[in-house]
Amino acid sequence: MDRSPLMRLENINMVFKKPGSLLKDRNIHVLKDINLDIYEGEIVAIVGESGCGKTTLGKIITGLIRPTSGNVYFNGNKVSGVFSKDISSYNQVQFIQQDSYAALNPVRTIYQSLYAPIKTSNRKLKTKEIDDKINELMALVGLLPAEQYLSKYPHQLSGGQRQRILMARAISLNPRLIVADEPVSMIDVSLRLSLLNLMKELNKKLNMSFVYISHDLSTTRYIARNGRVCVMYLGEIVEMGNIGDVIETPRHPYTRALIQAVPVPDPEYHGNDDLPLKSMQLGTLEDRGDGCSFIERCLYSCDKCKQKIEHVTTDTAQVLCCNLENVPKQSVYSLKGKKK
Amino acid sequence: MKKDKDSTKAKSLGKSKFNMTAVGKFFVKYKYFFSKVGVSLITLALSIILLFFLLRQIPGDIVHLYALGLQQRQGINYDRAYELASQLLNYDPNENIFQAFFRYVGGLFRGELGESYLETGVSANSLIKTRLPWTLFISSVALFISFFLGTFIGGYVAQKRQGVANKIASSYIAISGSIPDYLMALLLVIIFAYQLKWFPAQNNYDAFKVTPGFNLPFILNVLYYAFLPILSYTIVQTGNWILQMRGSTIGVLGEDYILAARARGLKDRTIRSKYMRKNALLPLITSLGVSFGALFGGATLMESIFNYPGIGLEISNRVVNKDYMVVQGLIFFSAAMVIFVNLIVDLIYPLVDPRVRRG
Amino acid sequence: MDKIKNFFKRTLSVLKDFGYSLLKGIKKIFSNKKTVTGAVIIVIYVLIAIFGPLIFPYSTETNLKDKYLSPSLAHPFGTDWLGRDVFRQVIDGTGNVLEIAFYSALITVVVGTVFGIVSGYIGGWVDRVIMSVTNIFLSIPSFPVYLLLAALVVIETPISLALMISIFSWAGLCRAIRVQVMSLKERDFIQICKVMHMSKAHIIFKELLPNVFSYIAINFVMAMRNAIVASVGIMLVGLAAYDPTNWGAIMNAARTKGLVNPNNVRILLYPLVAIVIFQVATLMLANGLDETLNPRLKVM
Repeated sequence: MDRSPLMRLENINMVFKKPGSLLKDRNIHVLKDINLDIYEGEIVAIVGESGCGKTTLGKIITGLIRPTSGNVYFNGNKVSGVFSKDISSYNQVQFIQQDSYAALNPVRTIYQSLYAPIKTSNRKLKTKEIDDKINELMALVGLLPAEQYLSKYPHQLSGGQRQRILMARAISLNPRLIVADEPVSMIDVSLRLSLLNLMKELNKKLNMSFVYISHDLSTTRYIARNGRVCVMYLGEIVEMGNIGDVIETPRHPYTRALIQAVPVPDPEYHGNDDLPLKSMQLGTLEDRGDGCSFIERCLYSCDKCKQKIEHVTTDTAQVLCCNLENVPKQSVYSLKGKKK
Repeated sequence: MKKDKDSTKAKSLGKSKFNMTAVGKFFVKYKYFFSKVGVSLITLALSIILLFFLLRQIPGDIVHLYALGLQQRQGINYDRAYELASQLLNYDPNENIFQAFFRYVGGLFRGELGESYLETGVSANSLIKTRLPWTLFISSVALFISFFLGTFIGGYVAQKRQGVANKIASSYIAISGSIPDYLMALLLVIIFAYQLKWFPAQNNYDAFKVTPGFNLPFILNVLYYAFLPILSYTIVQTGNWILQMRGSTIGVLGEDYILAARARGLKDRTIRSKYMRKNALLPLITSLGVSFGALFGGATLMESIFNYPGIGLEISNRVVNKDYMVVQGLIFFSAAMVIFVNLIVDLIYPLVDPRVRRG
Repeated sequence: MDKIKNFFKRTLSVLKDFGYSLLKGIKKIFSNKKTVTGAVIIVIYVLIAIFGPLIFPYSTETNLKDKYLSPSLAHPFGTDWLGRDVFRQVIDGTGNVLEIAFYSALITVVVGTVFGIVSGYIGGWVDRVIMSVTNIFLSIPSFPVYLLLAALVVIETPISLALMISIFSWAGLCRAIRVQVMSLKERDFIQICKVMHMSKAHIIFKELLPNVFSYIAINFVMAMRNAIVASVGIMLVGLAAYDPTNWGAIMNAARTKGLVNPNNVRILLYPLVAIVIFQVATLMLANGLDETLNPRLKVM
């Protein structure tokens, strides 16, 4: 792509210090050499299992956490997070949290929670103007009649309604990028579709970029249908590409295992259920070496994998693997014995 | 390889209940240890500074008073007495206050807590030796009785929440918590000492009847005289322990592991002793430790009412008589003990509660 | 002209909303039996303090002829050793006691909350300094220092006594609030305030404070209780004897006169019972508030 990215993460590393024994601290290396570009109006999905660092990455993108090393660029300018003075750039990145109940102040009404950020962003606005905007937002997220919801407290609403409020709050500041951290994980399955559709609509109508973080491949595929996906494992992006390509022809052994792990909803399916993994043991985040972190589970690992590996660009994606030649190219669906 | 190390570690950790490797590791965690000790030392230092400068503000020339006292008792002339006094007190009003402070601290390190000007040879140290045991005797006996009684009742009442026992307990907590301990003492003295004449109203033992020492008549006499003070403390404090234990037990009973234990078919008695009581008592241990530390603060008011010769009464008498050096030493001693006991509690708690241990 | 109309309309609607939620809140709080009982009793005490001397104009003049009279219509609590009416003395003392309790609670709560929020929110070296200071006041025993201070400073007004008591009580509240603020700080809805660039003042006053408010209210009542225990205790040993009608002073006088005399016992009991009833009332109020403001989902 020729156009410059809205947000660029360059060589991001995140290390947390945990007090260890005998005065020596342990380093928890949560994110390792992350490089990610996000373009205007696109949806980027970040997928990975629990503990792989996706929430931390989301918080770095939002600016809540400062990376231990590496640079973050927004609109071409280097930024250092919400704790810096560059308000102008950082109001344009907003965050939707996973737990809608914890993300709203329990002693303030919905109206107050929506009013405050708008007023803070522009002190000159009059109450009438803010009220109009709030009504507009409520209509946008589909919570009408608005008065019915505005005077309520968070605990009086359902999870789905709260999640919509979070979205309304996030878009109230007209951001260019919204990071959504597992927004539908705590919602009933039957309601998920409407929320995901809402996000797709916002993306199309308002040309907002979304970073969609999840551990669930199915919702990811739905929302990022025309976008990219990053597969993360233990703090590294192991595969990144268009979602269709990655799901049809995953190249990295981890992605292959992920897709293989999706159950087939067919009672008569008698295909191969074994995961192509050496073990289920998760590697450690402490005191990591330079080599591939997937070594413990990878079926195709060799001595080369213990040294530092670079991303390899294939025709479908960028993959962090040194042994691509040995990884089978067969589409995973054919492995499952059914082609859909 | 890494996998094997982890699993063997897991096996050894699970084996013994009071795991020495975990405990050993904890004590090796210098950071936790040092930080707690450091905080205690800083608190102690700040307390010394505060007390020292507080006492300097008291109006009236202390050296003058001391000198007068010395003059009277030793029959020397005033100038000589003044010299002696300023030597004894380490107090020269013309001296730089910081110099004086450092000399005071130097004295502290040597264990000198302050001398009295009223009587020669009486210092804070000697007072502590003679008076502290009495204070501690009353307070700790009361503390432990009220603790055991309170936790027992609290645990029982938590299980039968709708019953009469709970209502009685709640009323007791409300009333005993509303009567200050000294007022309870007054009431008891009025009823049992003056009206019924069952117990003595003052003092710690009858000096005419018995002689101190490890003889039975003395011990019985002491207990006789200690009855009302201990009773007043116990009545007032038990309510608090019932309240805490009841709350803690209710919380524990609501936990899933109790339900799981019942489902597993464990006997009620086992559940009660091993699961419920132990877990409910845990937060109360800190409370107990802090209360124990507070004992050293002295029960000034109670001792005043019972004329019981403890540290509290000593402090109040000597403040009235302007014997400030001794008072300073006594207060400092109490504060130091409180800090020390709290430190011990902080260090011991991880041994008792495995969740606080790290690594 | 229009602008002014709009301004009033808006203020009215804001006030209306605020008023509604306040009314709803008050209704909920006072639906609890304990709260109401406690509050009513406290209000009675306040009324007695304000109007008592007017309604019951018994004399407190020394009248040696009427020494130690038994309770009667003319003297509901009898008279003391100087012929003064005890009932009137107790009533006179009510205002004094309440004043001390209220001022002390106010100072404790304000100082404790301010330092607790500052300490918990800002953290770093400010937090450590404030924690060291609270440690001192939690370790040094309070009563001996009261004695010392009474020797230093002559206590003549309720406020100075209240101040003296507050010196030690603010520390506990400060710690408790700090802990709450520290945990609230990490909660999602505070984190998002940072993402939305809300000012620190807004976060503290509009987001944090409403969440600790119920805790502060309950602690205010508890601080009043502690103040009464401490002030009456101080007076019982004869310090701060500026007002002889204060309950503690009455009790001290009776005690020094000798409790072997049942008359003195009687005189001592009246303020004692008054104190205990007040303490029970405040306890009920505190517990009632706790029940409504902090619903515990697991218990009962």
